[in-house]
Amino acid sequence: MNCNECKDNLVAHLEGALDKATALSCQNHIESCKECSETLRKYKSLQGELGKLGPITADVSLVDSVMNRIKYLEFQKEAREPERSTFMSKLLKWRWSMGLGAFAGILGLILLVILPGANTMVAAEETFVRATKAVGQLAGINIKGRLRTTAGDNFSAISLENDFVDIELWKEFSPTLRWKVEKPGRVAAMNGSSTILFIRPDFAYKLDRPTHSAFDTQWLHQIADVAESLNDELRAIKKHGWKSSVSKDNAGHSIVTVEARSGYSSDDYLKNTFFCTANTRREYIFDDKTGLLVSAKIYLADGEQPELLFELTQISYNPKFASDTFEIELPADVSWRRDDVVLPDNSKYEALTAEQAARAFFDACAKEDWDEVSKFTTVTASLKTYLAGIEVISTGEHFESAISLISGAQFVPYEIKLKSGDVKKHNLALKRHPETRRWFVDGGI
Amino acid sequence: MKEIMMELSDKDLIERCLAGNADCFRHLVLRYERPLFAYLMRRLKDTQLATDAAQESLIRAYLGLSNLQKPEAFHSWLIGIGARVALEFYRAHKRQLGISGEIEDISDEKAQKFEEYQLDEMIAELPEKQRQMILLRYYESYSCLQIAEALNVPVGTVTKTISRAYDALRQKLQTEGFVFPEAQS
Repeated sequence: MNCNECKDNLVAHLEGALDKATALSCQNHIESCKECSETLRKYKSLQGELGKLGPITADVSLVDSVMNRIKYLEFQKEAREPERSTFMSKLLKWRWSMGLGAFAGILGLILLVILPGANTMVAAEETFVRATKAVGQLAGINIKGRLRTTAGDNFSAISLENDFVDIELWKEFSPTLRWKVEKPGRVAAMNGSSTILFIRPDFAYKLDRPTHSAFDTQWLHQIADVAESLNDELRAIKKHGWKSSVSKDNAGHSIVTVEARSGYSSDDYLKNTFFCTANTRREYIFDDKTGLLVSAKIYLADGEQPELLFELTQISYNPKFASDTFEIELPADVSWRRDDVVLPDNSKYEALTAEQAARAFFDACAKEDWDEVSKFTTVTASLKTYLAGIEVISTGEHFESAISLISGAQFVPYEIKLKSGDVKKHNLALKRHPETRRWFVDGGI
Repeated sequence: MKEIMMELSDKDLIERCLAGNADCFRHLVLRYERPLFAYLMRRLKDTQLATDAAQESLIRAYLGLSNLQKPEAFHSWLIGIGARVALEFYRAHKRQLGISGEIEDISDEKAQKFEEYQLDEMIAELPEKQRQMILLRYYESYSCLQIAEALNVPVGTVTKTISRAYDALRQKLQTEGFVFPEAQS
């Protein structure tokens, strides 16, 4: 074996991948050749360095966490950036400045060129575009519906264990963007300058700025903003490959059905508890005569039988709003959320883990030390009534959901005995405030 | 041994991601999570910090995919993102601890002496085939035979490609002033 042949075989030799005869011949050459022997030494040394890599990374598995976060980001983007237009949405915007014939011509061309063969998509797109044209330039909208949820819980929370409660949205697009969403337990309103959430009977939270939507009302705004929402749906159908279909009923309606996937894994704590974490079937119902959206239904579609979660029962285009429609009347004893205050001993609270914060919170409730409780949540009269003098049975190790990667929320299991004698076993959601870095109770009480 | 998809190149996967198939990024994460983590671990010397930094780097890479000029250089680009994230995390961590010496100082510029993490950077710069085999051999602990099966090539091709990778790495290491210690045999 000469030097070139030996060099070709060195790695195979080190890896034990040579047959006996070649290995022997290679070994004989190395022993008689200084240069090849030196190369072998350096290869071995390099192997030694490279060999350190495997053990460092033995337990690494970032795939699920990274992909969940990416999926969540994608959904946020879809929800928050209706302005990030597709060609179709641009066209929908331009339609006001071009003749209807030209618009119809271009639209026909798009349907032929962009979506060849995708008959369902074309039908869905036609129905959506017709509806968008039919509503004209909306000045305002009022929609009423019913939703299976807890009356006082988050606006986006869904639960098949609950009956339907009424939910309503008022939205003015022009001259000033203003909106209000209300269900029995809570109301949120944006009056053009600030946005307030009021949770009955005595808790309020204010953002000193106007918002397009806030406090998890996005899903309802999406239905209200017909043109953008239908365009968003089309984009999601194309982008995520969601199934969609178009059918007709006997009452002169076209029904576009979209099967939306949340991307949350089935073992995620928050799976199917909010609209954004649930796999849903969405039905948009259009009147064939007018082309207008007349109803919508959202089903939880994660099992064999889809279950109705939300039904849009009434929709009014360009209604007259009362002067106080976008204001909330707050009771005198309302408590405002103030998690943004840096405490004199803030560092003590910053240093806590989620488990320690949950424990400290419940222990303070047990002792009725409301000043201490206020370090973790807004103390309201109703909270005092509910949690005064509890007995803390246990608190556990925290866990996370895919949402934690975005919001930082951690969930601490707990079991407490209320004064009434009832035992409550649940998970306390805690988030760190981005500036004060203190843990604040974000749900689960 | 985890399943890593070999049929598609980095470039193919990136093109699919950019065309709207976000799920293809999963295969890039599978391919590069370990080299990236090893690199960050060597820079940050803290498992939790390196895990967080690796996640952050991968998310930033995903969000910045459309800015990547040469898709075939994804690995080396990712390591570059990792370097910036490591520096940010290191500074934030230092601020949080309010100390200066808890973890070893790291800086943007190349250190005077050879640092172990430079080896990760050198691997990232190898030509695609060489890099692919080095990654499988040393980060995923595949044997040469397993690499040959996974890539559907003869074992001889694997050992010869690795041999070329060794030569390239040796050369780079020598340029950086690395002294080859006596190997344990």
